[in-house]
Formats: sequence, structure tokens, C-alpha cells
Amino acid sequence: MSNPSTGASSKSKLGSSQPSETSFKRKRGVFQKDLQHMMYGFGDDPNPLPETVALVEDIVVEYVTDLAHKAQDIGSKRGKLSVEDFLYLIRKDLPKLNRCTELLSMQEELKQARKAFEVDEEKLGTLE
Amino acid sequence: MKQSKDPFEAALEEQEESPPDSPVGEDELNSQTPNEAQNQTDGGQNILVDDDDDDYDDLGPTIKNPSHPSSSSTPKLHSTSVNASVAAAVTNKNKEYDDDEEEENVDVELSKFPSSADPTKMAKMQAILSQFTEDQMSRYESFRRSALQKSNMRRLLVSITGSQKISLPMTIVVCGIAKMFVGELVEKARMVMTERKESGPIRPCHIREAYRRLKLEGKVPKRSVQRLFR
Repeated sequence: MSNPSTGASSKSKLGSSQPSETSFKRKRGVFQKDLQHMMYGFGDDPNPLPETVALVEDIVVEYVTDLAHKAQDIGSKRGKLSVEDFLYLIRKDLPKLNRCTELLSMQEELKQARKAFEVDEEKLGTLE
Repeated sequence: MKQSKDPFEAALEEQEESPPDSPVGEDELNSQTPNEAQNQTDGGQNILVDDDDDDYDDLGPTIKNPSHPSSSSTPKLHSTSVNASVAAAVTNKNKEYDDDEEEENVDVELSKFPSSADPTKMAKMQAILSQFTEDQMSRYESFRRSALQKSNMRRLLVSITGSQKISLPMTIVVCGIAKMFVGELVEKARMVMTERKESGPIRPCHIREAYRRLKLEGKVPKRSVQRLFR
């Protein structure tokens, strides 16, 4: 089947115009492996069709692109892009919002735990 | 069709009858120690388990899966042997943030469950999870464990925004949002398939129809500027 008209060519334009060290020329199948497992987890076949995975990837990239653009518009008013901009964008979508706050709080906890771990390591080091 | 509906209902009934597994004790905890180093990409992280236990004290019992290696943990958690794998989960969760190893524990994902750290919820989850068939368990494992790579997401965000300052929390949040979006797509595609009375793997036409419906529902951000020169 022909590729959907979403995302493919415009992404490469974006990639080439950015002078970033990782010029993201929108290679095919960037998320392919992860997406296969994810789609199985959400209800697809254990081996999803490759064209389905490619389509989902295109859609996801377009979704993230639109989301990031909107977040940037919001963030530009404040000066720079921050996490709150994304959270503001999904404020209406409760499951996503809750999930994101959960992820952020978990990340904080893990950071604290890692810090505590390093402190312990130092203590052990000085003891010896 | 959703497989998850039946076991939940069955488990809810089951929960009334039989209490969660009684504590098994240290033996199982110790027996899992040898398996510690197997799938750990970063051995040093194991020690984190002890510290993480403080944070994850309320982590409920998870399914003990003896076929999978798991690191041991101090028995600060509930006494079910299952909790040994919880600690593994905690440790491995650290690494999930670093690299998405598909070989990690089943139990890895399950520890993240107590969103509310509520004992009744944990008991319910355990009751449900114990009812899973192998097929359901593997699907659930894929669901919990799969994630989009943070590095790829970061690269994508950098190329979109043009700014190099993409913080780690931002990457994590966007990965989470994208994963849930994939879930919505796939679930809706399955609904479309049942409406059309088709079966088998999901085809692109189902995804497109699902995407169209999501757009109608307003769950997809609309482009304020028209896409030109595609």
C-alpha cells in the first residue's frame, strides 16, 4: 500500500534545515521495533503487519510533531519550552495527564534514590 | 477484541472468595539471588534495590515468575515472595530509563503498578494477575515493558523544536503521551475490526479509520497551519 501522506517528506525537510548534529532525516522505522511490542501489548497480533507498524509510526511522529509545535507556541510566550507546556496541552485528556504526573513523580523518586545510593557509596569508600 | 475484560471480572469475583497469597517467606527470596546477575546490564544498580525499597515500600505483591531471573531484595516489603521480584522491578526500572532491554523481568513492570499505593488496589491487581493465562500474561508483559526509546524521542524533539535544550523529564513525558496515543489507536482499530467483523492482524485501513475517528473526537492536535508542499 502506498505510504500515507502524513509526515514523510516534510520531516526530511525539517531534518535538513536544522543544523543539529543529529540531523534527523526521518529514517524509516526509527520506532519500529518498540512499536511492534507496544502494539502487541495493546491488542494487535504478536507479529503486526509491517505496513501497519510503518503507518502507526508515521501517525505517532506527526502527533508528536504537532504536539511539540503547539507546546512551543505556548512556551514561546514564557521564553522557553518546558514540561508544563506539554502538560497544559493534555490537560483535557485525564488518563494521559495522570499518567504523565505519575511518570514525573516516579522519576523524581528514582533520582532521589540514586542520590542516596551515591552517598552510601561514598560512606563505604571513606570507611575503608 | 479486548482480552482484558474477562479475567478482570473473573478475578473480581474470585477476590471475594479467596484472599491474596499468604506470605511465603525468605526461602524464595534467597533462592532468587543466584539469578541476580543474569539480565542486568548494569550490575551496580542492584544495590539500589535497598534504597529503593524505602521509596517503594508500598509496592504490592507481584506475580512471582520463577522462570525469570530476578534480583533479591531486603524483605522490607510485604512478605510474599513475589516482592523479591518487586525489588528487581525497582532496579530494572532505573535501567528502563536508560535502555529498553526487552529481556528484563516480567516482574519489572508489575512493580510500577501501585499508582495510588493502595493495598486494596494491589490486592485486586494481584488477584487479577494470578488469573491470567499465559497468553494474557505475555501480552500484559509487552504492554508494561514496551516503550519508545528516549534517545530517539529526544532526537525527534530536537529536530522539531530546533532547540537542543530538551530536558529529560520532557522526553519521558512525551514518550508516555505517545505510548498512550498508540494505545488509543490500536484499541480503536480493534473496535473498527469488530464492527466490520474482521479478524487477524490489524491492517492499515483499520488504523486509518481509527485515526479519523480520533480526529473527530478531538484527541489529535490539529494543525493550525496547513501542511504545504508535502
